[in-house]
Amino acid sequence: MSAAVIEATGLTKTFPMPAGPVTALRNVSFSVSPDEYVAVSGPSGCGKSTLLHLLGSVDTATSGTLLFDGRDISTLPDAERSRIRLTQIGFVFQRFYLLPMLTAWENVELPQGEAGVSKPERRARTAELLDYVGLSQRAQHRPSQLSGGEMQRVAIARALANSPRLLLADEPTGELDQSTGEQIAELLDRVHADGNAIVVVTHDPAIAARAKRQLKMRDGEIVAGAPA
Amino acid sequence: MNSFHFAWRSLFRQPVRAALAIAGVAAIGALLFDMLLLSQGMLISFRDLLDDGGFDIRILATPSTPISGPRMADAAATAAAVEALPEVDAVVPMRIGQARIVGPDSVNLSLIGAVTSRRDAWTVVEGVDLDDLIGNDDPPMVINRNIAEELTLAPGGTVTIRSECTERYSVLPTVDFVVSGIAEFPFDPVTQMTAAVAMPDFDRACGSVMDEADVFLVATRAGEYPEMAVAAIQRLRPDLHAYSNDQLVDRFQQVGFSYFRQISTVLATITLFFAFLLISVLLTVSVNQRFAEIAALRALGFSRRRIAGDLLWESILMVGTGGLLALPLGLVLAIWLDRILKAMPGIPSDLHFFVLYPAAVILHVALLAAAGALAAAYPVFLASKLPMASTLRNEVVG
Ligand SMILES: Nc1ncnc2c1ncn2[C@@H]1O[C@H](COP(=O)(O)OP(=O)(O)OP(=O)(O)O)[C@@H](O)[C@H]1O
Ligand SMILES: [Mg+2]
Repeated sequence: MSAAVIEATGLTKTFPMPAGPVTALRNVSFSVSPDEYVAVSGPSGCGKSTLLHLLGSVDTATSGTLLFDGRDISTLPDAERSRIRLTQIGFVFQRFYLLPMLTAWENVELPQGEAGVSKPERRARTAELLDYVGLSQRAQHRPSQLSGGEMQRVAIARALANSPRLLLADEPTGELDQSTGEQIAELLDRVHADGNAIVVVTHDPAIAARAKRQLKMRDGEIVAGAPA
Repeated sequence: MNSFHFAWRSLFRQPVRAALAIAGVAAIGALLFDMLLLSQGMLISFRDLLDDGGFDIRILATPSTPISGPRMADAAATAAAVEALPEVDAVVPMRIGQARIVGPDSVNLSLIGAVTSRRDAWTVVEGVDLDDLIGNDDPPMVINRNIAEELTLAPGGTVTIRSECTERYSVLPTVDFVVSGIAEFPFDPVTQMTAAVAMPDFDRACGSVMDEADVFLVATRAGEYPEMAVAAIQRLRPDLHAYSNDQLVDRFQQVGFSYFRQISTVLATITLFFAFLLISVLLTVSVNQRFAEIAALRALGFSRRRIAGDLLWESILMVGTGGLLALPLGLVLAIWLDRILKAMPGIPSDLHFFVLYPAAVILHVALLAAAGALAAAYPVFLASKLPMASTLRNEVVG
């Protein structure tokens, strides 16, 4: 097994609240290797999203360390962490968060532009990705003209735009009906088969079952599936 | 897609909001622009009037305005002495009095008596100047358009004048003049009746040779500075008061004009504040609506700088488009307001309250740009301080 893409050790996250601090994660340790497909599940409020946010460096842990490619990202300045998110990590949200005023094509192209990819390369990559998610025909459509499943496929294409090493998805099928959810799950399977590391948070056991490795969480702790 | 393009798309995803914002900035900007035009307009226009005719120095008996002050004696000798100064090119002694055209329609007018020279304080627009009328027994006179229209006079027509030289109480005999031409006098108010005659004819109308002047119009020799000429005149005649056009404008600025300055400064500041409020409210509201989207973009790796740049461009686009539209709008408004103000009696018709000058456009752009940048500051701050994780979470939970 090659070196881990991401390696968490003793991650703890506490939110200060008026009624007293809420500990969303307690001393969580685990790692994801470059070709792994990990599903995280557990009851609502057990800390799944919090964990994903820490892994994606959109939030910082109260204590513990997080190594991305061997680098401690919690200590990096915001601009560098943004850069890592942009180029190394792909995010898929439950609510898609496509930009409504941009076409599917432009939504997929946007992160590439931000990463400084040249125009011809961007064009080729965007066409390739829309084809990959089966939406070449819908390239010029706005999100409002797409179905939920189509929007999530565009969002996945956008997450893959800069060829990240790690794809993070929080309830990617949470807003979709079952059969559409399965299409998305199949797409994620394909993304994994093509060599991407994936961490997906899901309530849906059918989706979790597709992952090679399944983490179960409860009360901010991983109760099953953590590395030995 | 760069920040500019992105901002453009963001702005016009709500076309009504964009249109309202731009219309608001255009309206406020038009007012701002007009205040800038007003803040300098009369000065520039006054300066133009003074420069008209090529005279750049005026000599008076007192530091007050020509007509109310006492007159200067020995006008011919004084004019000759001043003209002999190496800094001076030409001197025109001038009298300004009242007269009445007698006849079926009698008309009161300002009668100017001037020593004719290469330069005149008026511009002939029809017919010929005083010196150029030949083969006539009656002395020549130039009249302004108002007299010509009132009495349906054209060059070649004759008028009979009874002069009302101020300190004489006896009724003077009438004098006949032939109209040589129609002229424009720079300081004429809209309804003013003005005529000008040669100095000897003015004296004749007044019944005696007085050799006096209310004002000397002086032209500095080419290559000399008016200030040097003023100094030379003051050395020659310390009892008289010589002013260059610059000095007259300065005096005007300190005395009458400072009110306009203050009013336009206060109003310009208020309009700028309104522009700032409008933009910052609109941008803040739109940032609030887009919190989730901004958090998602940040999660996707867009830097704070990029997000700030997008918002700044959005502000610049609103302010820029509105500010550009404000220019023609402001000009139309200025012309309209200028007309209203110029209807006040006694204002020279060529004096403008609102005058377009290049610095006004530059200042307008700079002030609006500053207001736009400042207005973007709070929304930019909000967006860049946005906590990604909890914003994304709130959107799903809430
Ligand atoms: N920003 C926050 N402020 C306060 N408490 C928070 C915040 N984020 C998470 N929490 C708390 O941390 C705990 C874990 O939240 P988290 O969103 O990670 O749960 P989850 O497993 O993703 O739940 P769900 O399945 O409902 O999405 C919860 O008790 C939650 O109330
Ligand atoms: Mg969650």
